[in-house]
Amino acid sequence: MTLRVQLVAVAALLSAAACATGGDSNPPAPAGVVQPASPAPAPAPAPADTRPPGQRLYAKHCLPCHQADGGGVPNMQPPIVGGTWVKGDSQALALFVMSGGFNSAERKDSANDNVMPEFRQLPDADLAEILSYIRAKFGGGGSAVTAADVAAARSKL
Amino acid sequence: MRTTRVAQVVSLTSALASMALAAPLLAADNDGLTLAPGFSATVVQEGLGAGRHLAIAANGDIYLASRDGLVAMRDKDHDGKVDETAKFGDVQGTEVRIYKNWLYASDNVGVYRYPLKKGELAPSGAKQVVVAGFPLERQHADKTFALDPKGTLYVNVGAPSNSCQEKDRQEGSLGKNPCPILEKYGGVWVFDGNKTDQTPENGRRYATGMRNAVALEWDPAQNALYSAIHGRDSIDTLFPALYNAEDNATRQAEEFHKITDGGDYGWPYTFFDTKLGKRVLAPEYGGDAQKTPEAGKYPDPLTAFPAHWAPNDLLFYTGKNFPAKYRDGAFIAFHGSWNRAPEPQAGYKVVFQPMKDGKPSGAYEVFADGFAGEMADNNPRNAKYRPVGLAVGPDGSLYISDSQKGRIWRVSANK
Repeated sequence: MTLRVQLVAVAALLSAAACATGGDSNPPAPAGVVQPASPAPAPAPAPADTRPPGQRLYAKHCLPCHQADGGGVPNMQPPIVGGTWVKGDSQALALFVMSGGFNSAERKDSANDNVMPEFRQLPDADLAEILSYIRAKFGGGGSAVTAADVAAARSKL
Repeated sequence: MRTTRVAQVVSLTSALASMALAAPLLAADNDGLTLAPGFSATVVQEGLGAGRHLAIAANGDIYLASRDGLVAMRDKDHDGKVDETAKFGDVQGTEVRIYKNWLYASDNVGVYRYPLKKGELAPSGAKQVVVAGFPLERQHADKTFALDPKGTLYVNVGAPSNSCQEKDRQEGSLGKNPCPILEKYGGVWVFDGNKTDQTPENGRRYATGMRNAVALEWDPAQNALYSAIHGRDSIDTLFPALYNAEDNATRQAEEFHKITDGGDYGWPYTFFDTKLGKRVLAPEYGGDAQKTPEAGKYPDPLTAFPAHWAPNDLLFYTGKNFPAKYRDGAFIAFHGSWNRAPEPQAGYKVVFQPMKDGKPSGAYEVFADGFAGEMADNNPRNAKYRPVGLAVGPDGSLYISDSQKGRIWRVSANK
């Protein structure tokens, strides 16, 4: 493991720790106090990332846009929660995520500003973990997605 | 169980401590906002929906742009609360400004104006097109604008892109070089605001390299244009070998610049790195988290504000209500981040940047904060309020608009 990789791994743990503590937002600063331009110090490093792989991979690849609660950001990125894709056919969902949803009718009618990138660079197993996680958490307890489901969807790309 | 009790005691203690700290501010209420010492806030109107920028006429009438259309408001009995509200026109957008006897407003594809007649609150006259026909885009489409004393119209034409990648927001996708988006977007275009029925072709590119200059303002003291610009997103997810989530949450400055004719402010080729304190090449354009562009090619910002705070309005204070230190300084409304996740979101405040002779004369100060409240799940959707627009009333009070619920506050210096 190179030093750079180790640093990245430590940083990932730090951000995981911030996420695990609930990512508390933005407490009001005392009035009139000059804010330094640098951020607050990072929380103490967690001993290990104990999150299940699906949650961890969701946090890395999906959460920055769709947010921790899967609720999206109004006018920017749509919610996963309450959507039809997350609850529907698992292979169709895998195809949608790998192709960035660019060609879906929903995308054309969307009021949201940002496009979803393609996630076909992720391995089948990682996509299966992510999709199983979002179906369980944001899709009303939908069935798990297997790596074979993802592979089958990938063959249609 | 013991751990739980200890945790409860600790959290109770910290809650008491924060209550003690907050007590003098709570006493003044200020609608829950935290203000710089010596100021008070009152609510002048609420419930206007997705509010955006606002403008105030010499008689005190308030005009708000919103996603749902334009709103005119009047405080007839001068008790500090609006008691007449009228929706008018068909312009749904972000900017609204008063120039001479006209109310200028914009949507995503054009700038328009309505005649302001004496005594009228909602304009009865027909809308005129000042310039229309900008391509309809999804990203960064709001055509915010500023007017100088001659009526020159400066329009922000935001770039419909994050960083001009071959494939927008795709991991590892490199930047188009040169970036073709800059031909028609990613800068400020200038028009004659006194003329009607112009098209984008009648304009001239005044400045470039600006991803989305939402906060755009003419400073009458310096006779110059300024902007606080929205910086780029997602350095970590697009280039994970170079940057991590904390880097993405903190390093790409929201840059505050004086905007000069012919100026180039560096998007998409560069960004100003708050950690290194210098401009670096963007990873899409050969950046390695260290490499810098050719010296002197792009100006450093006057102030490098923290990443993703989203500067949505800029105002130079020319009123007389506030103490002398605020005169000619800049207020900036930061709408707050979504793109710091999974790190804690930030922004959601109004800051004051002291200025002297057109340059910062000290560190910026938080002027008004506490808009977002607890913001459950670190999601901006759950922010209580998000400051988005600024205007000064005839008495020198600062008005702040909100995009979550359409609330408007008036902030005045205590007598």
